[in-house]
Amino acid sequence: MTWQDDLQFYSMHFMPYVHLPPDQQQYDSLWVDFSNKHYDPQKGYELYQRYFREMVLADQLGYDGLVVNEHHNTMYSMMPVCTAAAAALIPVTTHAKICVFGVPVTFVMPNRLAEEYAMLDVMSGGRLEIAFPLGTGMEYWSNSVVNPSTARAKFRESVDIMIQAWTEDGPTSYDGEFYNYRYLNVWPRPFQRPYPRCYVVGTGSPETIAFAAERGWGYASVFVPIAQQVKTFDRLRETMPKYGHEMTPDKAMANTIVYVAETNEAAEREVIDHIKYYFTIAARTTPRFLNPPGYISLEQFRIRAGAANKMHGGFDWDEMTKNWRVAVGTPERVAEKIAGWCEEANSSRVICHHHIGDMPHWKVVKNMTIFAEEVIPRLRPQAKRAERPGSNTLRTAGAT
Amino acid sequence: MPTAAARQAKRVPRGFERRELNVNGADVVLFVGGSGEPLVFLHGAGTASGFHFSASWAGKYTVYLPYHPGFGESPDSAAIATIDDYVLHYLELFDRLRLDSVRLVGLSIGGWIAATLATQNSHRLKKLALVGPAGLRVPDHPTLDIFRLKPEEVPAHLVHDLGVLAPYAPDPRGPDFLEFLVNDYHEMSSYGKLAWTRPYDPDLAKWLHRISVPTLLLYGDKDRVTPAQQAETWAGLIPNATVRIVKDAGHLVLDEKPEAPQAVLEFLS
Repeated sequence: MTWQDDLQFYSMHFMPYVHLPPDQQQYDSLWVDFSNKHYDPQKGYELYQRYFREMVLADQLGYDGLVVNEHHNTMYSMMPVCTAAAAALIPVTTHAKICVFGVPVTFVMPNRLAEEYAMLDVMSGGRLEIAFPLGTGMEYWSNSVVNPSTARAKFRESVDIMIQAWTEDGPTSYDGEFYNYRYLNVWPRPFQRPYPRCYVVGTGSPETIAFAAERGWGYASVFVPIAQQVKTFDRLRETMPKYGHEMTPDKAMANTIVYVAETNEAAEREVIDHIKYYFTIAARTTPRFLNPPGYISLEQFRIRAGAANKMHGGFDWDEMTKNWRVAVGTPERVAEKIAGWCEEANSSRVICHHHIGDMPHWKVVKNMTIFAEEVIPRLRPQAKRAERPGSNTLRTAGAT
Repeated sequence: MPTAAARQAKRVPRGFERRELNVNGADVVLFVGGSGEPLVFLHGAGTASGFHFSASWAGKYTVYLPYHPGFGESPDSAAIATIDDYVLHYLELFDRLRLDSVRLVGLSIGGWIAATLATQNSHRLKKLALVGPAGLRVPDHPTLDIFRLKPEEVPAHLVHDLGVLAPYAPDPRGPDFLEFLVNDYHEMSSYGKLAWTRPYDPDLAKWLHRISVPTLLLYGDKDRVTPAQQAETWAGLIPNATVRIVKDAGHLVLDEKPEAPQAVLEFLS
């Protein structure tokens, strides 16, 4: 099976709060301790209205999945409860998979999260996909009742509990290091059997790769340089067979920033400030918040402390277009770039950030529409496309 | 990189010997100096400023300066993650070194471990000295949540006179800087296991009445981590307690004022 056989495109939204005070530059982090006095609920309401319209449009344009995720104490994302965002999307969409990528399971009771996800899966008639993040370091400062030093062990146990709750007829019991369940018996059960498709979310750390390999799950890399994403998938290809699983292209999720316009120059002109906003403002935080005590091993800390902090606050456009999955330009150029990445990583799942930073609505609509109508058809052979469910608009577009 | 001897000279008084021990699975490094009856010192959450204040103690006692597992030169031990684990670890260390009638001195979280050990095992001790101890909930004068501080804010919270820490301050361009950061992250991670959720044990106050040895509570009057006003609460709960407040000193009172280790020595004698 190659990456071309089942190529799918997901549209992801962070739903950031973009009305920042003019002196935002004086804050070294817009996470954790950036005061919520800067949040205006009226403006937040208007942003939610707009952002949900954008995600509904993605469904109408035939994207295969709509991706939401979760962050806390930050303007970066207005989805501290991403299952609520998923629930809001279900009745207003018809085809796209609802991808919750996802709740850091260490912050909630695992039976409760098993219930929430099962609800979403039944409510959507089996459209749910799930990814399990450990949660960024920042989340552990914001949810400081959870100790980062035991987060990885608690994460593993919590996922085990959820899988048991979904795969064994209840009631069962569970006896663990962190949790004991007397009657594990979640109602409802998931719509999809044995349970919805699951991925691990991560930066490519040895711990998260091992976790995905053991279960044979896909890996949804967060936005890190291409080389790091490719290395992660290579490592999964090596390790998965040891656990009796096969690493297939649909388990390699490539995370991309895309922007399409009439010319390369126009595309770059229209998008560059928003990408810069994303990296220098929305993602800005401190090394202290990135690495709470006990969150990473000393070996990982040594590597990270020794490396420059490019992702959270830095910005170099040339470096970014070369080493990161940023595709900006005409449909031809963007399609060519994505095809190259999918080929290189043997990946058939592409997560697209169509909204980026403080991008206005019209650009999101333009970007998402041209991408659906001009980029995807270039990448997906006609015959294969027709077999796919849930892409009515694309088929219509192809016919006109 | 400095030599091992130079590193040791920066941390402990002249004449102390470095030893490595395995205590029922926990690898520990400790320094031992002087002669006489045993005095064990339990350090606080950070060890970068060393143990030079213990020089005068070694004139009268055999002084043991162990690194807690997970701090300084002692690696993590899978078995040790709570204050009670550290208490049992030190009882095992006492057994291993055949120490009884111990004069136990604890600073900050070392004081928390020492006080908890004393609630359960006063019979192993001769006297107890708690220097700016953590571990007790004092709502009107709470222990500082050090995790709320930015790295650059930490030194001014530890000492009244910043000059005291100058010899131990890392040079950001020096060859040892990365190792300094790694050690600091290691010690904060170990401290976080104990105090990430809260820097005290809500149950400790219920059992301090069981400490049956004479106990000294020593503070700097400018302590910004464990405010000196906490002394009153400790002294109200421990039956045979003496309070000593040293003027113009912070949490690292032992490093700041020679009269502080001297007060400990006089009390223990």
